[in-house]
Amino acid sequence: MINFALPKGRLAEKSAQLLAQCGVDTAVLSEDTRKLVLESADGKYGFFLVKPADVPVYVESGVADLGIVGKDTLIEEGRDLYEMLDLKMGECRLSIAGYPARRDVLTNPHLRVATKYVNTARRVFADREEIEIIPLHGSIELAPVTGLADVIFDVVQTGSTLRANGLVVLEDVYTGITARLVANKVCLKTKAAELLPLIAKLREAVS
Amino acid sequence: MILKKLPTGVQDILPRECRALASVREKLTRAFESRGYDPVLSAAVEYYDTYAGIRNALPQERMFKFTDQDGKLLVLRPDATLSISRIAATKLTEPEARLYYFLDKWDAQSAGGVRTREIFQAGIERLGEEGAFSDAQTIAFAIDCMHEAGLADCILDIGHVGFMKGLLEECGLTDAQAEEVRASLNAKDGLNAERLLRGSGAKEETLAAVRALPTLFGGKEVFAAARALTKNARALDAVAHLEEVRRILADMGYEDSICFDLGTGKSLSYYSGIVFSGLVREVGAPVLSGGRYDGLADDFGRHIPAVGFAIGLKRVLVALERQRNLPAQPVCDAAIACEEGCEGAAERLSKQFVSEGRRVTLAAQYGRDALAGMNAKEKWYVSKRGAERI
Repeated sequence: MINFALPKGRLAEKSAQLLAQCGVDTAVLSEDTRKLVLESADGKYGFFLVKPADVPVYVESGVADLGIVGKDTLIEEGRDLYEMLDLKMGECRLSIAGYPARRDVLTNPHLRVATKYVNTARRVFADREEIEIIPLHGSIELAPVTGLADVIFDVVQTGSTLRANGLVVLEDVYTGITARLVANKVCLKTKAAELLPLIAKLREAVS
Repeated sequence: MILKKLPTGVQDILPRECRALASVREKLTRAFESRGYDPVLSAAVEYYDTYAGIRNALPQERMFKFTDQDGKLLVLRPDATLSISRIAATKLTEPEARLYYFLDKWDAQSAGGVRTREIFQAGIERLGEEGAFSDAQTIAFAIDCMHEAGLADCILDIGHVGFMKGLLEECGLTDAQAEEVRASLNAKDGLNAERLLRGSGAKEETLAAVRALPTLFGGKEVFAAARALTKNARALDAVAHLEEVRRILADMGYEDSICFDLGTGKSLSYYSGIVFSGLVREVGAPVLSGGRYDGLADDFGRHIPAVGFAIGLKRVLVALERQRNLPAQPVCDAAIACEEGCEGAAERLSKQFVSEGRRVTLAAQYGRDALAGMNAKEKWYVSKRGAERI
């Protein structure tokens, strides 16, 4: 049996579609259920539906063999696993954004940065200005609007939320942030006969 | 309340688990001794400067540090191989040594799941020897040791740091850039490695090789694919070396237990040649890790080519538990109780059973009732009339 850790939320539906396209029986994923562990009817696949930030944890530990997760989460979590494929979905950037008229805040010796990517922000700013990180879990754009922070460090997809709040991208730090297929380092080798054909199909589907 | 608890990432080992650990240690000791290895122990506390001052310095945030009475910074043993390398270079006089150890090493940062901060390891080091035959023997013995420990379905995943280093050697990367590329490739993140290399102006041929590197794992077919990617002498030497190791391992009958991954670049920078990890399906992280580290002892004043491996004993126990191969809990062969005044006779009976190789418990309370709650194959009661089996 191949166990997947799949992210709830924005990548959920696309992930299921892609797997179905590669011959994985994903019918169980479209059922309206509150169950968190699902198994395909043929018993060949198991699915764990988890928060995106938790996908790397499940895969690193080997509870799941494979997972689908955004590169932003991988950078943030820094887990020891294999990135097998760029699935080229959900493309976005990780950017620093703020008010256009206050670009000079980037040279402020004590910059207040609101973000849900706390580890990544710390790394990005490690050899730059000193910062104070304000950890938030959502609606990051609210922080500069209310004066809670000088800038935000967040994913930017279309930029419409930024624009609606009068903010602009000051600097793109990581571009090409897309969903990735990740694999547990041990399972890839010990279950190679099961996993490699599926990974090959996925590679074909996305190229 | 907090006084009764342990800090994050360390664990007490309770009797059941401790017995399983002792059983694995016993089996591994037999395996090590039977192949001519000698035991060694290194001090648990060393100077921080020993490991901060060498070329392959460990990251300081990973070391447990405290200060000595004279203010010098001390660390809890951060790595067994480094300690043994130091011992070999400074205290051993023979040109060659084969050593084994049971040591715990400390990693201040590692925590969560099967990662603990106190890491119980069993390992071997083969000091003063070089070549594919030495590497192959080490790998064969690593597989044997995993089996001896009771693990089923073990795979040894083999790589060579020279392949990746060779590919990257003409790119003019700084140490920090090279480390970032290595980390990306070790995670099979070819995209990021390519982006970093493109930024440093690497040749198109190198970029193509780096793109292909994450797919270069599997059986012996990877060697031809690897050879087609590069003309770099160091990378090609690495492939040739792996092929020779594979040939020897096949000749020894280990072909079904090995696979290869040329994209391996371990985080410990002291590895200089072949590297390998021991894998079992039941645990998501390697239970064994090792490789060749020819230049490591240079920093301690002597050049000693060497190869070795360490087994993570906690992970072995997790695997054994999931494979349902944990050793059974022994039951006492005999429980003995006595009446007041017969302590000497009861103790003599206990000793008699022990001399017969049996496991015995003597109750601390007087009277037959003491036997009621005891778990043993035989129960004996010693009174003034003598010993009787109940």
